[in-house]
Amino acid sequence: MTKSDASPFADPITFAVIKNAFDTIVDEMAYNVMRTARSHIVREVLDYSTTLCDRHGRIVAQAKTVALHLGAVPDAIEAVQAAFGDDFAPGDVVIMNDPYEGGMHLPDIFMFKPVFFADRLQGFTVVVAHHCDMGGRVPGSNASDSTEIFQEGFRVPPLKLYERGEPNKTLFRLFEKNVRVPDLVIGDLLSQYATCRMGERQYLRLFERYGAATVESYIEGLLDYAETMTRREIEAWPDGTYSFTDHIDGDGFSDKPIPIKATITVKGGHLEVDFEGSAPQVKGAINSTLSFVKSASYLSVRCVMDSDAPNNAGVFRCIDVKAPLGSMLNPRLPAAVAARALTGYRIVDTMLGALAQIVPTKVMAAGEGGNTVVCLGGYDKATGEPFILVDMINGAWGGRVDQDGIEGVTNPAQNMSNLPVETLEARYPVRIEEFGYRQDSCGAGKWRGGLGLTRTYRLLAPEAMLQLRSDRTAHAPYGLFGGEPGALTRNILNPDRNAEAVPGKLTRNIEAGDSLCHHQAGGGGYGDPLERDPALVATDALDEKISRDFARDRHGVVLSDTCMPDAAATAALRADLRAQRT
Amino acid sequence: MGLAEPGERTVRIAADIGGTFTDLVLIKGAGEVLTAKVSSTGSAPEAAVLDGIRGIMAEAGVDGSQVVEVLHGTTIGSNTLLERTGAPTGLITTRGFRDILEIGRVRTPEMFDLAWTKPEPLVPRRARLEVTERIAADGAVLTPLAEAEVLEAGRRLQQQGITSVAVCFINSYRNAAHERRVGELLAEHFPAFEVTLSAALQPEAKEYERTSTAVVNAYVLPVMRGYLARLAAGLAGLGITAPLLVVSSSGGLVRSAVAQEQPVLFISSGPAAGVTGAARLGTAGRIDDLIVFDMGGTTAKAALIEGGRISRTNEYEFRAGISTPSRFIKAGGFLMRAPTIDIAEVGAGAGSIARVDAGGLIHVGPRSAGAEPGPACYGKGGDSATVTDANVVLGYLNPKELAGGTLAIDAGLSEQAVTSHVATPLGVSAAEAALGVREIANLNMARAIRAVTVERGVDPRDFTLVAFGGSGPVHACDLAAMLGIRHVLLPNLAGVFTAAGMLAGDIERQLVEPLPAPLDEALGPRLQAALDRLAAEARAALAEEGFSADQMAIERQVDLRFENQDTELGIVVEDAIEAGFAAPLRERFLEAYERVYEYRARDRVEVVAVRVVGRGHRAGKLDFTSYRTAATGGTNVASERQVMFARESGYVSTPVFDRSALPEVATGPLIVESLDTTAVIPPGAVVRADEAGNLRIELEG
Repeated sequence: MTKSDASPFADPITFAVIKNAFDTIVDEMAYNVMRTARSHIVREVLDYSTTLCDRHGRIVAQAKTVALHLGAVPDAIEAVQAAFGDDFAPGDVVIMNDPYEGGMHLPDIFMFKPVFFADRLQGFTVVVAHHCDMGGRVPGSNASDSTEIFQEGFRVPPLKLYERGEPNKTLFRLFEKNVRVPDLVIGDLLSQYATCRMGERQYLRLFERYGAATVESYIEGLLDYAETMTRREIEAWPDGTYSFTDHIDGDGFSDKPIPIKATITVKGGHLEVDFEGSAPQVKGAINSTLSFVKSASYLSVRCVMDSDAPNNAGVFRCIDVKAPLGSMLNPRLPAAVAARALTGYRIVDTMLGALAQIVPTKVMAAGEGGNTVVCLGGYDKATGEPFILVDMINGAWGGRVDQDGIEGVTNPAQNMSNLPVETLEARYPVRIEEFGYRQDSCGAGKWRGGLGLTRTYRLLAPEAMLQLRSDRTAHAPYGLFGGEPGALTRNILNPDRNAEAVPGKLTRNIEAGDSLCHHQAGGGGYGDPLERDPALVATDALDEKISRDFARDRHGVVLSDTCMPDAAATAALRADLRAQRT
Repeated sequence: MGLAEPGERTVRIAADIGGTFTDLVLIKGAGEVLTAKVSSTGSAPEAAVLDGIRGIMAEAGVDGSQVVEVLHGTTIGSNTLLERTGAPTGLITTRGFRDILEIGRVRTPEMFDLAWTKPEPLVPRRARLEVTERIAADGAVLTPLAEAEVLEAGRRLQQQGITSVAVCFINSYRNAAHERRVGELLAEHFPAFEVTLSAALQPEAKEYERTSTAVVNAYVLPVMRGYLARLAAGLAGLGITAPLLVVSSSGGLVRSAVAQEQPVLFISSGPAAGVTGAARLGTAGRIDDLIVFDMGGTTAKAALIEGGRISRTNEYEFRAGISTPSRFIKAGGFLMRAPTIDIAEVGAGAGSIARVDAGGLIHVGPRSAGAEPGPACYGKGGDSATVTDANVVLGYLNPKELAGGTLAIDAGLSEQAVTSHVATPLGVSAAEAALGVREIANLNMARAIRAVTVERGVDPRDFTLVAFGGSGPVHACDLAAMLGIRHVLLPNLAGVFTAAGMLAGDIERQLVEPLPAPLDEALGPRLQAALDRLAAEARAALAEEGFSADQMAIERQVDLRFENQDTELGIVVEDAIEAGFAAPLRERFLEAYERVYEYRARDRVEVVAVRVVGRGHRAGKLDFTSYRTAATGGTNVASERQVMFARESGYVSTPVFDRSALPEVATGPLIVESLDTTAVIPPGAVVRADEAGNLRIELEG
């Protein structure tokens, strides 16, 4: 081997080869889950992640799946190690979902398969998947209005689902009896299992080819590499302390705004993120475990980094995250946590708001604020069989330094897909009556935010439990550097009858023929709306993405009948509007 | 048509348009093969085709009346999408759903990338118009079609200068009556519009996928039609009245008239022909399990042939050049539901640029030096270190000239580029750096192969790797070794292999009909009826093209899946659906499923659709055994040069053969140079030229 002066690795070429191999393993694991899982939320919405850990439980590689799982695995594996010590054998598989013992919320089942090479533990293959039901008081186990973890469903501490290759029949039977759709849940568990095994085989091939000592040393190198890449970047940021506060509308029981405050301290190549000043733990189910807070913080930092450092534990070494115990970002038992995804999105919004002060050209204004979850569960009229529709509505991005926010796009905190209308209608007694952009919902700016989406559901079954989790009904997605906030979320029950405005978070029985219309918040704008190129304003008006009123009032652009900008009238109006500001 | 017996006078011509060259292959009589390469002619690609055909006919001493068929692989569809030069296109949708096309499946191709730009849809929002109508999920009409709104939409599109219109209504895959009625209304009132109806094109569920497919079709249609018409006129001018057959994305040969109506089925026309050719080559050499590897300047492609069957998919996304990751993430491309050879593509090729990042990690690609300025060694001002430069430094490629002397090489420039961009930053020698660049490039390209094998539960070690494209044979043996593959096949005609592949193809008609229902005994009569109907339709279409019954092969397939899943597997079935069919069919599905996914589910199995592929076997198609283009059997070592195969062994003196002078059997290390490629045979590998001039290589244990 050649010792290099310039490269930190003993052998830069083997290093690159092994890094590539790790990336390939987790990607192929991700593909395997997508193809073998049973439920829509995993197969189509792709709410899962695949990870490879070393024998210490440190993340070596994670596939480009759900970014919000980025920091979740370390705490989970710590709980697994605490529960089992070194009591692992080849063929063992451990699962868990308890938020108070390493998990995030009950539907997310973590699965770890210890990998042995030459009789020694050499790592873990990990698949985290969001299951479509975990029992509890409501279908989907995702209610925002639970008040205790005990209402939320089946809690699983770290337990062996397989022991030396033998299935734990007791645990499988318990799943069968505690969830509403056991075939889907067990099917997805089997998909996780097959994927862990597939990852194991490929991981072992590396050990066979290079030997344990070499692979281990390159894992160290890989973590160091990620740390170096991250540290270099942070070193270029101005030292200092930067705070930002954003809000969640309420916890479903009270409309009292729930502040989330992030204070980022940049010091040399290190970041400290402190959530002191955020709300105490709340009654509703939007409390978030600290592991999830870490995930959201890491991913926010990743989003503003230039380099493509690998997703591994080396990145986390440069970032410390803390939140006071007893706050909603580090709650005590038995706080409910099922709907904590929303809190994760808002942490990302808050982090990007603080990062905007550090790296203003790298961030975007606030997006829609997290996907909206519409859950309809009940029994089919014709067959009497239970159904649970968990539908997610994505999304809009805020404006950026040199381009508009995207519309019809996943929140950057995940990389989720959507459920086709036709698939939904063929499988569930529900009809979608509208799905499209919401005019004028963007925040105006030199670069406007993306438009929110509108989606309308009509129930065809006799009755169903509707659970709605949405936000930004009172606290609009913020704009940056003069950009305006996006439109607020609105939810309307039976828009064609009494058009009842309902809150962002709702659990209610509805009946056949009832409909729910969700108008999602739009993204915030970036930069002064009066500096937006009138030609872009005209194009938006021509495309009916904005109205002519919006063009005039928000951007100061006067359009002709054929949607051509009137230069003189626009200049005059903009001068007026500027004058009114002062 | 092309069914005439291969008499001495009959001539078949294939033309394949590439970015730089248009390749031509002509077969005369029973097997005499001529090949030619002419420069491609950019925006008017038919000029190169016609020019090339004129030239190759003259060389062969034949005239247009002898030509019994002209086969064509065209990049016109993919170029139209890439350069966005299609027709001004409009879209008519169900009220409430005009944004389906633009929303898509909402994912992003990368994580953590807040600077991502979502591509503009092919139809801007102002040209996406809604009309009142609604079909339920079971096909029932909930709201009748508001015909007056259709006419109003037509007027508005006309005012906008739209010339091609796609129509896609929610649930039209269950009941296409409303779409058909819109088609009638538009034909009657706006005869100038080209109209694409989504369910007529592809009657399958998922509104975004169907809309996008219809829109791509509408967008490309006028361009494809104009092109094929100009080509046909040009052929007539050469005295050729034989039918023009176009290669579809699924690798079948289809009459030009179909391509003019359904261009969306022809977007991947070019690459598909290479795979069909490889399959035919495999048949000729009695090799049923092949991995096809095609390496070009900016990308590498892989496809799978298992048991003689080409692996196909019913959905793919066209993204600027790269399609592998999009199997996982649908984003940033144009999605099509269209039978397509399952080709995985990665952004790694001969021109991919190597660099070292601030943390000391080597990266290769996806940036490419392309043809201009090209690798540093071309001396055209490129100073980036490319994969080709690494190959020059390592001695794999001729240090003075390539392509039979038409391209001068400056090895010093390669060494300089590799040294300054890779070796110095890493603190290693140029040779070690070059090995590293090559290995990383190989790993990237191996991902394309893994995508069509490992990710499908297929073990590549049981397969033979067939490599072509200018750079395929330079890397094939290394890739094989990396994946545990023992057998490598480098075809004769490697440089024009795609065109040759067309001559080996069959006429193909694919028909599909949705039949969503649980798989049970009661379904038997309906399955039988649907399959019979499609089979009859396929036979009629083939008969119309001049095939007799004994020249036809009809394959019947039932697409099955587990309830609640979206991935279906096609299971081939017998002509007769006998009583008691359901249990064995379910079992065959479970077996196929388990082979890929490693477990059996207890879930109910449902039918999604029935599918029939009709093939007309062309008399006189190229079978890769009956021709020989270069003499083999010489024993002359043309020269020797220093080549590095492994770091430990350093540079070793390696014989370099001209293809025509290669002995019957030889053992590596050696290099085989021919006009259009260079084959690298590593130490210990045994290479043998077969009767047809292909190189067959066995790697060491």
